[in-house]
Amino acid sequence: MRRFLDSLYRLGGYLAALQLTVIMVMVVLQVLGRILDKALLTLGMDSLGLQVPGLAELAGFLLLGATFTGLSYTLTVGGHIRVDLLHRTLPAAVRRGLDVLVALVALAITGFAIWFSVLLAYDSYDFGDVSIGMVPVPLWIPQAVMVAGLVLLAIALLDVMIGLLTGRLNQIKDEAPQE
Amino acid sequence: MDMIWMSLLLLTGLLILLGAGLWVAFALTATGLAALHFLSSIPVGDSLSTSFFSASASWELAALPMFIWMGEVLFRSRLSEQMFSGIAPWVGRIPGRLLHTNIIGCGIFAAISGSSAATAATIGKMSVPELTQRGYDRKQILGTLAGSATLGLLIPPSIILIVYGVATEQSIARLFVAGILPGLLLMLMFAVYVGIWSKLNPSGVPADEEEALPLAEKIRRSKPLIPVVLLIVGVIGSIYAGLASPTESAAIGVALAHLLSWRSGSLSRETFGQALMGTVKTSTMIAFILAGAHFLTVSMGFTGIPRDLATWINTLSLSPYVLLLALTVFFVLLGCFLDGISVVVLTTSVVLPMVQAAGIDPLWFGIYLVIVVEMSQITPPVGFNLFVIQGLTGDNIIRVALAALPYFLLLLAGVVLITLFPDIVTYLPNQMGN
Repeated sequence: MRRFLDSLYRLGGYLAALQLTVIMVMVVLQVLGRILDKALLTLGMDSLGLQVPGLAELAGFLLLGATFTGLSYTLTVGGHIRVDLLHRTLPAAVRRGLDVLVALVALAITGFAIWFSVLLAYDSYDFGDVSIGMVPVPLWIPQAVMVAGLVLLAIALLDVMIGLLTGRLNQIKDEAPQE
Repeated sequence: MDMIWMSLLLLTGLLILLGAGLWVAFALTATGLAALHFLSSIPVGDSLSTSFFSASASWELAALPMFIWMGEVLFRSRLSEQMFSGIAPWVGRIPGRLLHTNIIGCGIFAAISGSSAATAATIGKMSVPELTQRGYDRKQILGTLAGSATLGLLIPPSIILIVYGVATEQSIARLFVAGILPGLLLMLMFAVYVGIWSKLNPSGVPADEEEALPLAEKIRRSKPLIPVVLLIVGVIGSIYAGLASPTESAAIGVALAHLLSWRSGSLSRETFGQALMGTVKTSTMIAFILAGAHFLTVSMGFTGIPRDLATWINTLSLSPYVLLLALTVFFVLLGCFLDGISVVVLTTSVVLPMVQAAGIDPLWFGIYLVIVVEMSQITPPVGFNLFVIQGLTGDNIIRVALAALPYFLLLLAGVVLITLFPDIVTYLPNQMGN
């Protein structure tokens, strides 16, 4: 179970990395195509019109996907920042109790966000909403990705909370600022 | 007066959540939820999901992971080792001598990484041992490093300016360009201060021990730095000239950074993976904070608090200078226990309407805000740069903070200068056209 959960979060991280890579490659291709076109035009030839259609909007959706699928991975590697000024002065037991509370509040907010994101995606699906760009993307697709990322985050938060309660974790993982 | 009590109540609630250790993104969201639920009749959940969605799916915001990625790749190349030896031959004759390697090294690296903590760590790793071994004054080694590393926030491409631009719907390209002159000005001020200091304290700067190198040799030693400097100039230049949007030039920057790192032999499957996963971590963290901040901004908008505050400020008919003075004190205090990005997103949700009502240019305000945040990076107890340098050198944080104090004051002088002469900020962007 432990190994399954850890690889689940890592999978989310890899998916986020993949989406960022796709954004990078698409944008680079688009710029290269534009440069090629300019070069051809100055040479008096016809432009090839190499374009990634609807790039700006697609990149936006991929970024959304990268952010939300990466949430749980970032949580488990201690990437989300928080203020630990008070924490450092507290005795270990109190600190753990406070961290349980923190994870619980975050879990409640995530649950609330999941519920309404599901409704949002469902409405988009129901009304057949599509994006307004050159390539009409059904909005429920990126919205469903958002839901999936939030669900992963909720699992990770629950995991952290149980870990704190059972003593597997001493505190929520925080990254040292110098890394 | 109700409105003031309510905003104070919300602010207190937010600070309690943050102080308890709730992640910043969640604390912002929670405050937004409370504001909407108690102070408006807007459906809370629908606003939340729509805000998260619309704030995260953004072409402009895509510049953020790309610039982070570019920095991560260059950070893992041999650049940091080459920085010291590449700059040292050029500054030997300037008063203050090798202390300037910290300032210039941080300036160059700041342009690459956009993170002041990474800048301090990377430059300090090489320069602190080298300078200490040569017998430079300890306090000045720490001070120049702590002070100059904060430039990472201002010198474009700057992560925090992307955050400000996205949160306030300002053009990121114009913000980047606006950051150029103030960034150079601050570097110059630091360099002049080091020069004057070294004239007054000759014992802190050891005498020349290296032979004067011929020009060709100097250039040979700096050769590894040239492609990196060209990359930065290319990225910023293409944005300034309007050839590419920030997102585009950032993506090209990522590709070229990989090329450079491959050419220098430091690109491997391992460094590629580390850089990419590091990017996921930082980009996700910031983008999630921005999603929370966007929701808070929308919620605050519905409660009408920012508008009322702006009206209230107007009735006081303060001069903009008094308002800025008050805000500077407020931000430095806030920055004492919050990181820079959180300070910026918090500001934009409440303070910006007030600032605009007072007739302050939001473009200028972005640069002002970043310099003030830079100041807070070197104030205890939570100046991130202080922690980094403490970790790097083992010097006590208070000692580092004292060493950085002159640079804090220089940053403050920088704020005063751009306030008196706003053209320092706005001249270059005004030349850009649209």
